[in-house]
Amino acid sequence: MKKKLTAKTKAILALALVLAAVVTIVGALTLATPPGENVVQTILSPFRAAANAIVRQAERYYNYIFQYEALEADNEALRARVMQMEDEIRTADELQRENERLRQLLNLTKEHEDYELVSAYIVAWEESNWKSTFTIGKGTNSGIEVGLVAITEYGQVVGLVTDVGPNWATVTTVLDSASEISATVASTGYNGIVEGAYATGQEGLLRMSYLPTDSVLRNNDQVLTTGSTVYPRRLIIGYIVDADIDETGVAKYAILQPAADFDDIEQVFIITNYENQ
Amino acid sequence: MFQHFHLTRRQWFGILKWSVYVLVFLLTVVTQSAILSRLRPFGLKFNVVPILLVCICLREGPEKGGLFVLLGSTFYALSGVDMGNVSLLVVTVCAVLSAFLCQTVLADRIISAAVCCFATLLINSSLIFAYKLLLGLVQPRSWLTVLLPSAALSMLFFPLTYLLVKAISRIGGDHGV
Repeated sequence: MKKKLTAKTKAILALALVLAAVVTIVGALTLATPPGENVVQTILSPFRAAANAIVRQAERYYNYIFQYEALEADNEALRARVMQMEDEIRTADELQRENERLRQLLNLTKEHEDYELVSAYIVAWEESNWKSTFTIGKGTNSGIEVGLVAITEYGQVVGLVTDVGPNWATVTTVLDSASEISATVASTGYNGIVEGAYATGQEGLLRMSYLPTDSVLRNNDQVLTTGSTVYPRRLIIGYIVDADIDETGVAKYAILQPAADFDDIEQVFIITNYENQ
Repeated sequence: MFQHFHLTRRQWFGILKWSVYVLVFLLTVVTQSAILSRLRPFGLKFNVVPILLVCICLREGPEKGGLFVLLGSTFYALSGVDMGNVSLLVVTVCAVLSAFLCQTVLADRIISAAVCCFATLLINSSLIFAYKLLLGLVQPRSWLTVLLPSAALSMLFFPLTYLLVKAISRIGGDHGV
């Protein structure tokens, strides 16, 4: 029985060290996607999209079976008609959701006529507990670039495109610690910076910092973007759920419930162009 | 020219086995990012890829298995995971050392494999956590409330993964083709 690592095994360990160092150094020096990541993500993107399509289809059938069982209790005479309706409902459910999204989007585009939007489905979510990003199934081929804002059909901020390939793009959500947005409390006009609350151990919430100590903050006050070179004005970030004086004692902070429902989100809209007013 | 490329039955089975490993690995990477990461039971996320890679390395040994893990973890690191460089190094080193330990000290049993997989998950997540802690991006208590439960939850996939890898490793009827 071998008691020592063989030369081949040592070579594998050394190669792992070299590869990890190369990925780290190149990533740090160029601040861009590490070499090879674009290739891997481009290859994986259609498979991820296919996996999501399968899940959506499975959900449709699950809903269908569930509804079918509930309706089975009805009398025999209505069964044939119910089945026909079920089939329609199955399709209508999805169409209705899409219709609702598009209707909301229409309101949004009426309200913000200057917005140019690209819709995209989410195909993959980040696996780490400490990072909040997801991958969408569209990229540079659809006009998406790094630094563009992702929103919901209701104009709620979802995040920022931080990485992009031909048929994929990574969106870092507002929940991520790396995210910082200049924001204002809609009812009072207090300004502050909104960031992900992982650092405070409040995963899933946002923190609005640098508010004046004498600011009056109420629960459910709406927080909006103030507008910057990145974020358009008056997009909804979240709602205040708590507030206190921060660790320094010279400013107040508020905890926000994000406006976008990240547990239920399946489609986002990327603002590819807007007029900065 | 092609008559020189004659493959024995054993070699064919070897190619088949490694192809199945590659297929299962790719399927796991896609499933994890596209489906499992959406589930978030109790707000936690599953991490199955390192478990699969460690199991393969344990079955195939630190040389052949180690090479597969190196290639697999490089692909995994480049698939857009958070701090893939750390995962690349940690998963490869842990898998190779686990395989070496199982060959020399520990018995090649399901319990040893479970301990090695859990240790790999913990070391990998803890290093990423420590880096984020240094930057002030996470709270220390999250190690207990998020990291540890998340690793434990991921281990729910271990028995299935272990048995699947064991079955694949028997392709050709000879362990270590």
